[in-house]
Amino acid sequence: MKIVAKEGSQADLANPASAIWEDVEATTVSLQPVPLSAQPNEYIRVSRADRPYGQTANVAASAASCGDDIYVRLEWQDDEVANTEFADAAAVVLGSGDGIGTLGSDDAPMTLWYWANDRNEALNLSSVGPGVVRTNGSATIAADAELSAGRWSVVLAGPASAVIDSQLGVAVWNGSNDERAGLAAVSDWLSLDTE
Amino acid sequence: MSTNTKRQIAWVVDLNKCIGCQTCSVACKVLWTREDSEKAQWWCSVNTLPGKGTPKDWEQMGGGYDAEDKPRTGTQPTPGDFGGGFEFNHEEVFFGGSGGKVHLEPQAPREGRWAMNWDEDQGAGDWPNSYYFYMPRLCNHCSQPSCAEACPTGAMYKNEDGLVVRDEEVCAGSRFCMEACPYKKIYFNYERHVAQHCIGCFPRIEQGVAPACVRQCPGRAVFVGWLDEDGPVRDLVHEHKVALPLHGEYGTSPNVYYIPPLSPHPLNEDMSINTDQPRIPPEELEALFGEQVHEALSMVQGEMTKVREGGSSELMKTLIAYKWLELLGPFTADPAKIIAKG
Repeated sequence: MKIVAKEGSQADLANPASAIWEDVEATTVSLQPVPLSAQPNEYIRVSRADRPYGQTANVAASAASCGDDIYVRLEWQDDEVANTEFADAAAVVLGSGDGIGTLGSDDAPMTLWYWANDRNEALNLSSVGPGVVRTNGSATIAADAELSAGRWSVVLAGPASAVIDSQLGVAVWNGSNDERAGLAAVSDWLSLDTE
Repeated sequence: MSTNTKRQIAWVVDLNKCIGCQTCSVACKVLWTREDSEKAQWWCSVNTLPGKGTPKDWEQMGGGYDAEDKPRTGTQPTPGDFGGGFEFNHEEVFFGGSGGKVHLEPQAPREGRWAMNWDEDQGAGDWPNSYYFYMPRLCNHCSQPSCAEACPTGAMYKNEDGLVVRDEEVCAGSRFCMEACPYKKIYFNYERHVAQHCIGCFPRIEQGVAPACVRQCPGRAVFVGWLDEDGPVRDLVHEHKVALPLHGEYGTSPNVYYIPPLSPHPLNEDMSINTDQPRIPPEELEALFGEQVHEALSMVQGEMTKVREGGSSELMKTLIAYKWLELLGPFTADPAKIIAKG
């Protein structure tokens, strides 16, 4: 996935509906459910054995840089957004190693730039497994989102220095399917190429 | 699940003495859940049984463990299941000049309304044999807490006193605890995105002060103490075996125990007394407390009869609780004399 340099455009890049994103090529990214066997406790493994989760098949991802920050725009179809209990959510996953499919591990902790539609602020999380997260206060991130015609468009922004090994991943939670914590759809690592 | 439990605190509630006054509920409410975002939370609540309770029909919501000790899938109670948290028309009634025409009423759709004691005093049975009793419910601080074992982040855990407590800084709001708790005594704070529940007044316990629900009970109906140290709690649970866990079959080893309620005999159609059975159907109590309930009831009844006939009963002395402080176990410190730290 290419990172397109867009100097002096912070406000536009932060807006997922901005026309500035029309110039940035989007990559279709396939997602897979976090494996049931990797869920962190027996209750979740038992209770979700017959309840499919992580069914969001793909997202359109694009990335741009401006100054010291990187902006990642995610767009995906969500036909059932009406839900009061759990939020639709998405995250940019940063890290290295093999753990992206399980959102990190003790050996390979990962950073999640996390947005949810029921929170006013994006969260910067440290993740060592599916849903096994702690707030990571070391960097400020931002998010903005728009819902239009059953499609979410979300921009997550944070310091480019947080990117490790020139790669990132994506995770999506479908709130109307009660998805949260490790009940997510996750991509493989995506290589980032600076334009 | 993280635990460093060294001893186990436990409650015993005498259902023969609970008068359903909700003082325990209010004592807890004013101490712990005063924020707007906690309006619908009642960490301690008194329900009328038989009844749907709070959250509504909680006994049908699953959670806990099956006979093979495997987790049972549970349902997460919704805000509607808990109900309450209503806004009332105080302004209209008290200051609107129409106090004689309107009455205080929740400002919520009448259909489907529910709250923590919505079916209070309804009970069951037909006149003249209607019956009900009260049951205070709080977190059971289980020895095998399915809530803590379902928490992905380790936010809920057993502390060294055996209380199930939570770290709200660590809670990620995933709410698996609410699914997994079979007693459905965990709430969600939608503003702060954290689960919340009775913490056993652990800051008071650490200062030697009894939990608010115990200390404020005007009926002297609630005991607290260490389960395995000398005192009324240990005696009632282990020695006399008259205090029983609620729905022990849920498999979590709860640490709130109940003295089951005795009841008067029902009346026959000719208004004579039917001395063959109690008014509360024994099978209903068995469904709550297991088969041991019959023995427990016999024990209490027998000791009560002994005293009425002029004898002496240590069990009756304990249950009557002549000395209020005995209810508080080792937690007799006066909260008014505790200097808050921090």
